[in-house]
Amino acid sequence: MSAAGSSNPEYVNARVRARRGALYSDEEYRKLVRMGPAEIARFMEESEYETEINALGARYSGVDLIEYALNRNLAKQFDDILDWADGRLYDLIARYLRKFDAWNVKTVLRGLYSDLDRQAIEDDLIRAGEFDERLVNRLLEAGSIEEAVDLLDRTMFGDALAEAYEDYEDTGVLVPLENAVDRAFYENLLDGLVVDEATQQYREFLRAEIDFRNARNALRLARSGAEIDPSEYYIEGGKLFRAAELSTLAQNADELVSRIRESSYGDDLSAAIDELERADSLIRFERALEAALLEYSDTLGYVFPLSVTPIISYILAKEREVENIRAIARGREAGLDADEIEDELVIL
Amino acid sequence: MLEIATEFANVVAQSQGAGGPAIDAQAAAALAVGLAAFGAGYAERGIGAAAVGAVAEDEDLFVRGLILTVLPETLVILALVVVFLVG
Repeated sequence: MSAAGSSNPEYVNARVRARRGALYSDEEYRKLVRMGPAEIARFMEESEYETEINALGARYSGVDLIEYALNRNLAKQFDDILDWADGRLYDLIARYLRKFDAWNVKTVLRGLYSDLDRQAIEDDLIRAGEFDERLVNRLLEAGSIEEAVDLLDRTMFGDALAEAYEDYEDTGVLVPLENAVDRAFYENLLDGLVVDEATQQYREFLRAEIDFRNARNALRLARSGAEIDPSEYYIEGGKLFRAAELSTLAQNADELVSRIRESSYGDDLSAAIDELERADSLIRFERALEAALLEYSDTLGYVFPLSVTPIISYILAKEREVENIRAIARGREAGLDADEIEDELVIL
Repeated sequence: MLEIATEFANVVAQSQGAGGPAIDAQAAAALAVGLAAFGAGYAERGIGAAAVGAVAEDEDLFVRGLILTVLPETLVILALVVVFLVG
């Protein structure tokens, strides 16, 4: 687990491909949507999630058990990947997985803000990022938001958080801090990325991720009609929008949609855009965005088999699996029928 | 500088005048085997890493991994033929 030495894509790829084969298939999803939470937990116990279900089974039950087991397994899988990778490969993977550091920081801040106890916050963490156990534990023990911000001083979130903390003190809402975390993550995503033939694809993928995030934010703002300046949420590095454009586009959803249609993502997303225009459903559109990203990363894995892309494609597939199972479990709990749940899933 | 150049040219001319190539045939064959082994080793580096990864995930793949790992050894075996041809 280090950024030193030469990279070892052969080793990591062989292991990741084996793990990828163990992900749930269409067939298994079809079975899962017809199960209740207890049955899903048992089904998981008989597959990859055995350790986690057994470890958490005594403390939780039902949907909570499934959710925490999913999170824990996700964290374990991604930690493994970081563990195996060396050299440049490590750097490339860590770029994307720092997303979970951002998630953890936000979870801790929210927990502190709403005075949750330590256990409740800890359960919601996904320890998959780069932060080591010690830092996470110290964050959990922090008594106030100020203390937590101080602890993060040396991480990549440090500067942004310190700046946003003043805002937080003025306004008393968490939004500036959360924004700062997100932007720090996205700004680091492309920062100092060495681009050669193999990583060029990866950069395209990261850009797509940023573009989709911008598009999603803009659409949500346009929908909510809130008087917020979209450029505050704008993330640098994408190629679809500029900050100034986004402000005007966010006021006009139709223009925004046609902009996406005309862009280089238009072909991949045309089905999603049609859906958005016809059914006016933002959720469907977001699902389609995720499916498009997954499909894109999937093809990347075949173009450069010995690079970072097959690994990223596995990471995305695993994330989707976790989200799918969670959607199934929550859906069953809420009493949705199988067809409705299937609409919520992102399956290729 | 120029003097050294002419001197050098003389040496080269002389050694050529002596007749034979710089190294004899057996040494060249040995070099060929060595280079082939070097290539095989480089090929095995990647395959071996991948094979160990696969075996770590699934023990049943051990035999298959082993076979794939030593496949590039054929390069060395083919290069050995040169030794017998020359020697």
